[in-house]
Amino acid sequence: MAPDFLYIDPGSGSFLVQAIIAAALGVAFFFRNIMGWIKSFFIKPFKKKEKNN
Amino acid sequence: MSNFRQHPSSFRDEAGFVFLKDDILYRQVNQLYAPHYQRAVTSGFYQFAIENNLLIPHLELQENLTGTDNWYTTLKPEPVQTISYPYEWPFDMLKDAALLTLRLTKEALRYGLILKDATPYNIQWFKGQLIFIDTLSFENYQPERPWNAYRQFCEQFLSPLLLMHYHQTFLHPLMLAWPEGIPIELTKKLLPFRSRFSLHTWLHIFLQSHISEKTRHKEFHKVAFSQKKLMRLLLSLELLIEKLKIRDSEKHWSAYYHEAKERGDYLKTKTAVLESWISKIQNIHTATDLGCNTGEFSLRCARKGLHTLAIDADAACINLLYRKIKNESITSVQPLIGNAAFPSPGIGWQNKERLPLLTRIISDVTLALALIHHLAISANIRFRQMAELFRKICKRFLIIEFVPADDEKTLWLLRHGKPLPEDYSEQHFLTAFQKHFKLEDSLPVADSGRTLYLFSVTP
Repeated sequence: MAPDFLYIDPGSGSFLVQAIIAAALGVAFFFRNIMGWIKSFFIKPFKKKEKNN
Repeated sequence: MSNFRQHPSSFRDEAGFVFLKDDILYRQVNQLYAPHYQRAVTSGFYQFAIENNLLIPHLELQENLTGTDNWYTTLKPEPVQTISYPYEWPFDMLKDAALLTLRLTKEALRYGLILKDATPYNIQWFKGQLIFIDTLSFENYQPERPWNAYRQFCEQFLSPLLLMHYHQTFLHPLMLAWPEGIPIELTKKLLPFRSRFSLHTWLHIFLQSHISEKTRHKEFHKVAFSQKKLMRLLLSLELLIEKLKIRDSEKHWSAYYHEAKERGDYLKTKTAVLESWISKIQNIHTATDLGCNTGEFSLRCARKGLHTLAIDADAACINLLYRKIKNESITSVQPLIGNAAFPSPGIGWQNKERLPLLTRIISDVTLALALIHHLAISANIRFRQMAELFRKICKRFLIIEFVPADDEKTLWLLRHGKPLPEDYSEQHFLTAFQKHFKLEDSLPVADSGRTLYLFSVTP
């Protein structure tokens, strides 16, 4: 362990990390939602038909 | 007025502390925490969390029991029967504790509060489930501030869960080696390469470790954050943890069923003897089943109305038992990983912050069924040492099974040529135990050659 490591507050470094991870997740969840819409757009009409049958 | 004793594990938080007075546990709220406490009360958060079994119930007493100047109010929480620590929990229990922490964080946000520290030591077993016990862990939420407890959550919960998931091995002792959590940098090194292909694992472990190493010497005072971002972070952690699992070891269930089938009469007789003894002895409320395996007899004790601690060194067995307790909503059995030969030590400040196992498992009745041959052969413990141990943890009665030298399980343990201890005989066993206990009853278990003994503690 580097001696200066002992003086670093592990919390403060994680603030930047959280901002970056949250931004990356924004992109990931955006695409996930789009995929969800596409899936529901195609799957729903079929499901309705199945129910009617 | 001030004859109170501060709990040895309660000193880190300026918000308040836990103390004992006349053997009753209280939690003092200091003036410093007053604004946060007020918010938690007036917003209805405490009421919601308690009603939904997320937070331990408490009564507020408007009385300064410690006589300290910075007193704001006193809480009297409902007592937890037996304190346990994450290094004694199986995988599924730690996973549920992680999910409870995330859920509580999300619920608190709805009331304008945030969880300020995320550690499994704030979670305990209470009436058949996990519950959050640190009532003062919530503070007023400031949306522009990132989550203070994020890294702690990753190191205390996510790291061990990921390591166990990717290696399919119970690694609870790691939590004893790193009681503050397994460092992200270490987790990164210990995870297999394929774990990088999981987006959420990559973000929370690999990317986090990379960024914190790069920015070690820089300071970031102004990092823009928002509640939306925090919710994303929590959702990501939740999605990741929900998918983590440890597969059931076929060997454990099948071995148990095999034994049950092979030795039907043995198990039936043993159960009947145990149940009749427990019914016969009066005024007992708690039991400790040491070496409980998958908890068959612990469940029997619980059905007889005893709050039972089910302890075994085999984490896979305790994991199965935990799942059974959860699925069937059994309230009076508490599962715990523990080894009588290597009980978890006292750790932390002055070795008192986390208490040694043997001080936490003292109960009215101790059960040691099919255990002594393991202690004698695998751990070289002599009968007199066993008797001393049981005397320490046993308040009133001891139910112990003698496994003879020619028993098939004893012979199995000796198969590699290890010699049987010289004094391993029923006579020596009785002599050693009668130094500390009074023999009340004994019955042979079917035609297994084994004998069950009921001892009472001599004053």
